Amino acid sequence: MAEAAIARVQPRSLFYRVRTFFSARLVNIFAGGLFALLAIFLLYPIMGVLVMSFWGDDGFTLEYYLEFFTFNIYYWSLLNTLILGTVTMGILLIVGFCFAYLTTRGPLWLRKPLKIVALLPLAAPPYIFAISLIALLGRNGFVNNLFDVNINIYGWTGVITAQCLAFLPLSFLMIENVLNSLNPSLEDSASDMGASEFRIIRSITIPLVAPGLLKAALLVFVMTIAEFGNPMILGGRTQFLAPDTYLAITGEGDFNMASVLSVVLITPCVLIFILHNYVLKGKGYTTIVGKPTASEPKEMAFGIKIPFMIISMAVGVMVIMSFGVILVGSFVKIVGVDNTFVIDHVLNTQSNIAIWNSIKISLGAGLFGAIVGTLLAYVIMRGKFPGKQFMEMVALSGFALPGTVIGVGYIIAFNRPPFLLTGTIWILILNCVFRFVAVGVEAGISKLHQISIEIEEASADLGADFLTIFFKVVLPIMFSAFVAGFVYTFMTTMMSLSSVIFLVTPGFDLASVYIYLTAQLGELGLASATTMKVIVIVAISLGILKIVARKTGLEVTKKHGA
Amino acid sequence: MKPQETPMVELKDIYKSFGDIHVLKGISAEIPKGELITFVGPSGCGKTTLLRIVGGFTKLDSGRVILDGEDISGLPPNMRNTKMVFQSYALFPHMTVAKNIGFGLKLEKWPKKKIDSRVEELLSLVQMEGLGDRTIERISGGQQQRVALARALALEPKVLLLDEPLSNLDANLRVVMREEIKRIQKRLQVTTIFVTHDQYEAMSISDRLLVLHEGVIQQIGSPTGIYEQPANEFIAGFVGYVNFLEGKVDTAERETGIASLSTDLGKLEIILERDDLGPGSEVLLIIRPETVSLSSPEGGTRANTFPGYVESSMYAGSLVKYVINIGDGKMIVDQYNPRDAGLFREKDKVAVTVPRNIHVLKRESRT
Repeated sequence: MAEAAIARVQPRSLFYRVRTFFSARLVNIFAGGLFALLAIFLLYPIMGVLVMSFWGDDGFTLEYYLEFFTFNIYYWSLLNTLILGTVTMGILLIVGFCFAYLTTRGPLWLRKPLKIVALLPLAAPPYIFAISLIALLGRNGFVNNLFDVNINIYGWTGVITAQCLAFLPLSFLMIENVLNSLNPSLEDSASDMGASEFRIIRSITIPLVAPGLLKAALLVFVMTIAEFGNPMILGGRTQFLAPDTYLAITGEGDFNMASVLSVVLITPCVLIFILHNYVLKGKGYTTIVGKPTASEPKEMAFGIKIPFMIISMAVGVMVIMSFGVILVGSFVKIVGVDNTFVIDHVLNTQSNIAIWNSIKISLGAGLFGAIVGTLLAYVIMRGKFPGKQFMEMVALSGFALPGTVIGVGYIIAFNRPPFLLTGTIWILILNCVFRFVAVGVEAGISKLHQISIEIEEASADLGADFLTIFFKVVLPIMFSAFVAGFVYTFMTTMMSLSSVIFLVTPGFDLASVYIYLTAQLGELGLASATTMKVIVIVAISLGILKIVARKTGLEVTKKHGA
Repeated sequence: MKPQETPMVELKDIYKSFGDIHVLKGISAEIPKGELITFVGPSGCGKTTLLRIVGGFTKLDSGRVILDGEDISGLPPNMRNTKMVFQSYALFPHMTVAKNIGFGLKLEKWPKKKIDSRVEELLSLVQMEGLGDRTIERISGGQQQRVALARALALEPKVLLLDEPLSNLDANLRVVMREEIKRIQKRLQVTTIFVTHDQYEAMSISDRLLVLHEGVIQQIGSPTGIYEQPANEFIAGFVGYVNFLEGKVDTAERETGIASLSTDLGKLEIILERDDLGPGSEVLLIIRPETVSLSSPEGGTRANTFPGYVESSMYAGSLVKYVINIGDGKMIVDQYNPRDAGLFREKDKVAVTVPRNIHVLKRESRT
C-alpha cells in the first residue's frame, strides 16, 4: 500500500528520494533490526545452552546426558518435577473449576469477592506463598508455636501448596474464560429436557469445555515446573529441576550439567507448547450459532453449591492469610513468636536499595520492552517477508521458556566477547526485556487486529506516505498497547527471580533476590517487608494498567461514534 | 375457544423488571389447547422474557403461570412440562443427532429400545430419516432447526416454546421451515407459543397473535383481526403500511351504519363498524394502501374520490407503490396488477378513491 502511494509521487529532490527510500522499506528495515535483536538476546543464549549441554573438553559429547540419566539425584529431580507439575495441575483444575463455576453461575453476591480473591496472587510474586507458609507453618512458625505441634512445611506439602496458590489466577482465568464462552442456552436446554444441575455439569458443561480445560491444565503444568522460587525456598531435601540448575552453577560451577538440566526442563515445555499451538489449536466446539441470549442467574443446586463453596472458600482463606501474614510480618519482630511492633524491617536500608535497584531495572526494561514489543507487533502484522512466523515464534518463546533456562543461557552467552555484558545492569535489563516482550507483542497484535488495514490504506489513498502513516496513524492507535507492554514488563521485572538470580552481581541486589536471600536466612521480617513493598508497587501498576485500559476503551468507542 | 374447556396456559397479571427496567407490566392471557399463538412485537418489547417465564428460565416478579390448571410459577425448567426450541437451537455439539433427540428420554430412564424407536419416529416426523448418526456440525442450519424441534417434541410436552426459531435461517429456508413448523404443530395438536419480531412471519403462522409493546399487551387476536381491526395506532402501524387520516363524524345513521365525515381530504362517506361514535366524535381512519384505487381524473366526480398527482412511484413487479399528493397531504397507494390498471408516471394527475369500509379508531376528543 505504501508502494502505491509512492508510485504516484515523482521524486524531485535528494531529500525526497531518501525519504521515499526509507518510507518504502521501513517495515523491512525495522524487521531486520528487530530480528537481529531477537537473534542475539533470545536465540543465541538458548542455542548456547543447547551447545553447552553437548560440549565437553574434546568437543561434542553425550557424557553429560549419560551422567544425568545415571546419576540418581538428577534423575529424581526430573521425576519430582513432573510429579509436582501433575499434582498441581490436578488440584488447580478442580479448584479453578470451583472458583470459575461460582463466579459465572453462582450467587451474585459471591461472584465479585470470589473473583478478587482468585486474582489476588497476581499482585504478588509467586514466592510470596513460600515466605508466608514458612511464617505460618515453618519450624518456628505461627501455628507450630501456638499449638505446639510439629508440622514440617519443607518438602512436598509446602511446595505443592505454594504452587497451587501462586498459579490459582492462571487456572481460574482460563477456566472462567471457557465457561463464559459456553452458550448459556445449552445448559438451559439440558435443564429444559429435565436434567438436574449435577447431570448438566457432567454430561453437558464438562464435555463441552474439555478442550479449554486441557489447555488450562497444560499451561498450569508448564508454569509450575518452570517456577523457581517456591521449590527453591520450600523444597528442603526434595529436589526439583529449576533449583538444581541454579545450584549446579552456584554450588559446583558446572555449566554443562546446568545446561543439561535446562534442556531437560525445556523439553516438556516445548512439547506442550507445540501441542498447545498446533495440535489443540482450533479444537473445541463452536457452540454459538447466532446471538446467544444471556441467561439469568439461577439458584444453584444445594449439593453442588456447598462443596464448591467449601473448596473455594478454603483456598480463598489461604490466599488472604498469606497476604495477611506478609503484612503483619512486615511490622512485627517475628510473626507469631514475638509480636512487638517494629518499623525496622520496613526502613531497612538494604531492602530499600534493593527495591530502588529493581525499580530502575524495571523502568528500563519496561520502556525498552514496550518499544521492541510494539515494533515487533507491527512488523509481524503488517510486514511481508519470509521467516515472519519464525520471528513471531522466537518473540513469543521468551514467555514459554523457564526463567532459569534463559538465565543460564545469558551467563553462557554474555560472559565472553563479542557480547561481554556480565556484571553490568544491561544484562539484567535485556534479560527482562526479551523474556517478557511476548506480552507487548501480543497486546500490539490484538490492537492491530482491532484496526482495519483499510485505515492505513485510506491514509495512503489520501496521499500520506509510509512514515507519515506510521507516526500519525499507527503509533497513536497502538499507544495503549505500548502502555500495556510497558506496565506489564515493569511489573513482571519487579517480581522476577528465576532468571535474574543468575545475573546479579554481589553488592547489586534486586528486590526479588533480596527477598529470596533473606527468606533463606530465616529473616522473615525483612523478606515480608520487601515483598510488601513489591506488592504495593505492583498493585499501583495494575491500577494504572486498568485506568489506561478503560481510557483507551473509551477512546475507541468515541472514535466509532464519531 | 370453547369457554367450558380449561385453557392450556393461563398468564395472570405477570410483572417483571430487570433492575430499573420494567419489562412486563401486568400480562394476562389465556391460551387454549392446541393453539399456535405468536408473541410478537418490536425488539425489547418483552416477548422473549415472557416466553422464558413460561419456560421457567426467568423468574417472574409477581403474577402466575398456570399450565393445564396447575400453578407452575415457581418451578424450575426441569420440573415443568414445557419444552423450548432456542434461538441458537442449543443443540449439544458433542452428541449425534439421535443422542440430542433422545437426551430427555434418557433422563426419563426410558429403555434403550424404546428410545431408539421414539427417535426414529421423531426423525421421520421432521423428515430427517437416516441422519441420526450425523454429528451436529455436519448438518445444515435448516436440519439443525428440525433436530431442535424433534428434541423438544420427544417428551410430548404440554406446551412447545419457540424462541425466534427462524432468525438464523436465510429467507427461502425461513418460509419452508415456517410451513414445516405449522404442519407439525397441526398434526400433533400441540399448544405452541412462537416468538418473533417479524410481523409477517407472525401473521402467516399463527392462529392468534399477542402483540406486545413496552411491556403491555396491545392486542390479542387472529391475523385478520389484527390487520383489519387494529386496536390502536401502534398495531395499525406495526403490521403493514398504513395511511392515517384524521376526521370528525358529521352524521351517522344508526341502522345502516353509514356515516359522513369531514377529513383533511374533504367529505368522506364510510360504513361505521362500531356504534359508539356519534356526530362530533373525532376519529382516526386507518386506510391500507392496497384498498385505495387510482384512476384517471377524467371520470367525473364520484363519492370518496379526490384529485391528486403522483409524487413518486416505485415499481416492484407485482405491484406499484405510489406516493400521491392530495392537497397538503400525502397518501401511499399500492396498485396490484399494474399491467391491467395502467401505469401512472410522476406528475400525472390521478383520482384517488377511498373505500367505504374503513376501520376507524376513536380519538379522545380534545377540548
